[in-house]
Amino acid sequence: MTEKQPPVDKEPPTRSGQRAAYMDEVKYSLSLLTKNKLVLGGIIISAFFIIISIFSNVIVNPASAYNTINYHNAYCWNGNLPSWGTQATTCPASLNYPLGSDGFGRNLLNMIILAIPLDLSIALEIVASALAIGIILGAVAAYAGGWVDEVILRVTDIFFAFPFLVLALVFAAVLGRTIPNLELAILLVWWPVYVRLIRGQMLSEKNKAYVEALKALGVSRWRTLFLHLIPNSIYPLLVQATLDIGGVILTFSALVFLGFSPSAALPELGNLAVDGIGQIFTAPWLIVIAGLVILFISLGFNLVGDGLRDVLDPRLRR
Amino acid sequence: MRLYEYIVRRSVLLIFVLFGVSLITFYLSRGIPSAFNPCAPYINPKMTPSVIHGICAAHGFYQPLYLQYFYWLHDIFTGSWGNTGTWASGQPVIQVFSQRFPFTVELALSAVVVTVVVGVPLGIVSAVRNNRPVDHAARIVALTGISTPVYWFGFILQLIFFYYFLQWGLPNLPNQGAVSIGSATITTYSGMPILDGLLNANWGYAWDAFLHVILPAITLAFASLGALTRLVRASMLEVLRQDYITLARSKGLSERVVIFRHALRNALIPALTVAGLLFAGLLGGAVITETVFNWPGVGILSVTAVTQGDSNFVILYTLITALIIVVANLLVDVLYAVVDPRIRY
Repeated sequence: MTEKQPPVDKEPPTRSGQRAAYMDEVKYSLSLLTKNKLVLGGIIISAFFIIISIFSNVIVNPASAYNTINYHNAYCWNGNLPSWGTQATTCPASLNYPLGSDGFGRNLLNMIILAIPLDLSIALEIVASALAIGIILGAVAAYAGGWVDEVILRVTDIFFAFPFLVLALVFAAVLGRTIPNLELAILLVWWPVYVRLIRGQMLSEKNKAYVEALKALGVSRWRTLFLHLIPNSIYPLLVQATLDIGGVILTFSALVFLGFSPSAALPELGNLAVDGIGQIFTAPWLIVIAGLVILFISLGFNLVGDGLRDVLDPRLRR
Repeated sequence: MRLYEYIVRRSVLLIFVLFGVSLITFYLSRGIPSAFNPCAPYINPKMTPSVIHGICAAHGFYQPLYLQYFYWLHDIFTGSWGNTGTWASGQPVIQVFSQRFPFTVELALSAVVVTVVVGVPLGIVSAVRNNRPVDHAARIVALTGISTPVYWFGFILQLIFFYYFLQWGLPNLPNQGAVSIGSATITTYSGMPILDGLLNANWGYAWDAFLHVILPAITLAFASLGALTRLVRASMLEVLRQDYITLARSKGLSERVVIFRHALRNALIPALTVAGLLFAGLLGGAVITETVFNWPGVGILSVTAVTQGDSNFVILYTLITALIIVVANLLVDVLYAVVDPRIRY
């Protein structure tokens, strides 16, 4: 095996030397990432969905996407003469409707393309907010220590003890069924993980020599915290965040499934899948396809996150 | 710190955590009357508003919230947990819970069995054949489990093994409930249908109950498979790198003996403790699976309770589930410390 070994820094630590060593480290990490076919697959899948969500309004015209099936298609027109009197809104795949129609008689493919950006933005908003809360509380807990640390830790303990989904359900019931409220409900149960993660990282980080050096140089506490400690302990959080994108989409669709859909007609992936449950034996493609899209989005991000975790874990990094 | 000091410290924290859980649940289910009407189990629509007002006042629902909390705390410790449901079925909440809880236990236990039976070998194969196609396949299976919407997977299983098998004239699996044979001749010992069937020596009943648990158990297990597989894989990789494994190999022992006799035993310790945590988690996490399969456990009831604003059941459910999770965590940590002398507190 002619594997590239992680670089060993032998030069005196000049600024440019450090930078070069750092770049070598990044390159090595990237080579580990792309060497792994699973991660590569994950990156391709995630990128595919991100591109679709950026261009969704170009691919599908939102103005006409919500149109229900018109007269000619009202009988699941597949080129054969329709049998009169069996008008159905949910039609199997045909030329005009490559994935069939949804429960409202709308083009399922269009609905899915419109739903992907909504789901991704929901996931991003929740994960980003949870990350922000986690970083602030976790950093404060680790850096302040003492009773502040104790209080923050105990609060996360309380949240970890809850049956996660039921707590989210209760929050959703209290807040009401709109998209922002459901996001808030998920966020309220999601943040403690990040607090724990960054606190653990910071605890090991803050005892390192460079922190002592910064202190000796007279760098302020806040500057040390925000410019040195947090950036140095953030990587495991980014891995968790990548893994959580899928988790949040699954949780959102679980809330929808348990009866907290903001509106039945909303093109959201969970909504489309749940919409198909009532017709599972008569129009199985609805739930099958919508669920598969959720699965693939989630799998894409999980593959990337799983690979990132391996790359960043020094014990598995061989 | 000695072991018992550690246990005492953790137990004090446990009380603190449960107190916090009760505060949050209490506030959410009593403090916001628009979402949860605590009075609902005690009234019926035929009552006049003044009567309703009287009953609600008698239960203290118009008192300040902090006073209500102390009343409620008193009720909790004296064992009067209130009624559940709407006016039509005002049963004591503790009775309903204890009838339904064994069903959830049965489902969670079955799911843990499936998870361990599939997840442990998958993790081992994944570690032993590290970075080879088998490893990739095992990891994809595990990650797919994490990435799959639980309800969707449940319905897909129903579609295939209930509906299509029926269409194809194959023996199909039931998709609803925990048992379909009447239980009139069954004496209830544990409340779990399979176990009760066996204890009554009623094989038909036990078999029927077993058939009912297959699909829900697979559904529940698939989601938790990933975590266990990953853990077994990581700890197996760690162990395989140890010196004593190299020694065992250099002694000329066959690979099979090295892996199963030497590596596996040490690698499985963390995995089995996690299986314990998994069980505790599944007791509170079977909500979706129970709803999909109409499984008569406490999870499905908790969803109904939340949507119907049945605050007493929600409080009891979260408190008991939280207690189980916290105690399981404590046990696992203590067990770790007992098993592994390197761990210090």
